[in-house]
Amino acid sequence: MNDDTLTLYYYKDGLSDAERREVEAALERDELLRKRYEALCADLDGLADAETVRAPADMKERWHDSIERAARIERGREPTRERFVHLPSFAWGSAIAATLAIGIAIGFFLAGENGSGPVPDEGVQVVAADQPQTRNAFSRGLKVHLRDSRLDLANMPADNVDRSMLIMHIVQQNRLFERAAQENQSEDLARVLRAFEPVLLRLAADDVTPEEASRLQAQLAFELNVMLTKLERAASNDSSSI
Amino acid sequence: MEAEFHEAISLRSDRWFAACLRITRNRDLAEDAVQEALLSAWNKRHQFRHGARLDTWIHRIAVNAALQLLRKNRPAMFDALERDVPADSDSPEAIVANAMIGSKLSRAMEELSEMERVCFVLKHLEQWRIAEIAEELGISISAAKQAVFRAVKKLRSRMTDIKSTGS
Repeated sequence: MNDDTLTLYYYKDGLSDAERREVEAALERDELLRKRYEALCADLDGLADAETVRAPADMKERWHDSIERAARIERGREPTRERFVHLPSFAWGSAIAATLAIGIAIGFFLAGENGSGPVPDEGVQVVAADQPQTRNAFSRGLKVHLRDSRLDLANMPADNVDRSMLIMHIVQQNRLFERAAQENQSEDLARVLRAFEPVLLRLAADDVTPEEASRLQAQLAFELNVMLTKLERAASNDSSSI
Repeated sequence: MEAEFHEAISLRSDRWFAACLRITRNRDLAEDAVQEALLSAWNKRHQFRHGARLDTWIHRIAVNAALQLLRKNRPAMFDALERDVPADSDSPEAIVANAMIGSKLSRAMEELSEMERVCFVLKHLEQWRIAEIAEELGISISAAKQAVFRAVKKLRSRMTDIKSTGS
């Protein structure tokens, strides 16, 4: 009897009842086999992760925040002032501003010059040969902003005032990232982010009809999805992760 | 229910994150997996059976999300079983992840192929049934078993080395 069968016996998985009985009988009558099995059990029992991995505190905050926001949006009574300061994206925006202040160059650009819509057809590339951490922070912050915007747009409050304030919050965050991109000579990215603004502002307008609002929301959702997909693809290609 | 989610995050998110990190070996993917799991669980909370453990339910969703993210980011892994492709343990993400996990087991797992590692984590640490692993990874039951067997053999050998050298 080989160790593979004993392994399945240990896990109490992957053996039929008949096979299990066969192993039990063999263990009863064969002392050497029993010793081998005991050694296997000891080794497998020892293959446990004793050390506890801790998720960083800022990560936990983001998880708490996402539930809080989801609940708030669902209740449809998100307090106005809190909505204007969405901490994760605000923090990212502030971090980007700080990064700019100390003059770290981030090469972040979108390849392609197709001007038919906010998002170019070609892929997104992130280039910052000597500042990978800064680049990753920027890229991640941008992703958080885009995801939050997508979530907010999918859960727009019914109340006109609330809706307008939520959109203005998105516009403000968008401007921070646009500015960061522009000041780092990432004109293509800045142009893409800038192109979101008129669509957002139109969506916030008092005279927008429900049909138009619905069309604009769909357009924004599509473009945000494309943007996120390209960013994720670029990040994956860039890091060839795991 | 919102309070229960916050409580679960406070008390159990380390475990969710650790499980996702062991699967993805990528800090960002692990974070995203937990985030997706939380929002998915929140949106489906009416399906949650009271009496069951919320944190266990989220844990399972997070592991599934980690597998999906891994599949999306590394589709070749799921074709690599027969070729026994070695894991890229030198990538920056893997180095960061291993440093976070930091255990002897984690070091030993560096020598496993991607598929062996994922199958072993799901079987041994997450206690999934082999049939569930096969179904989730889209492989045969026999292939899932073989991956676990190879992982166990390599880990037993590696752990013996680690113990004997004390490294």
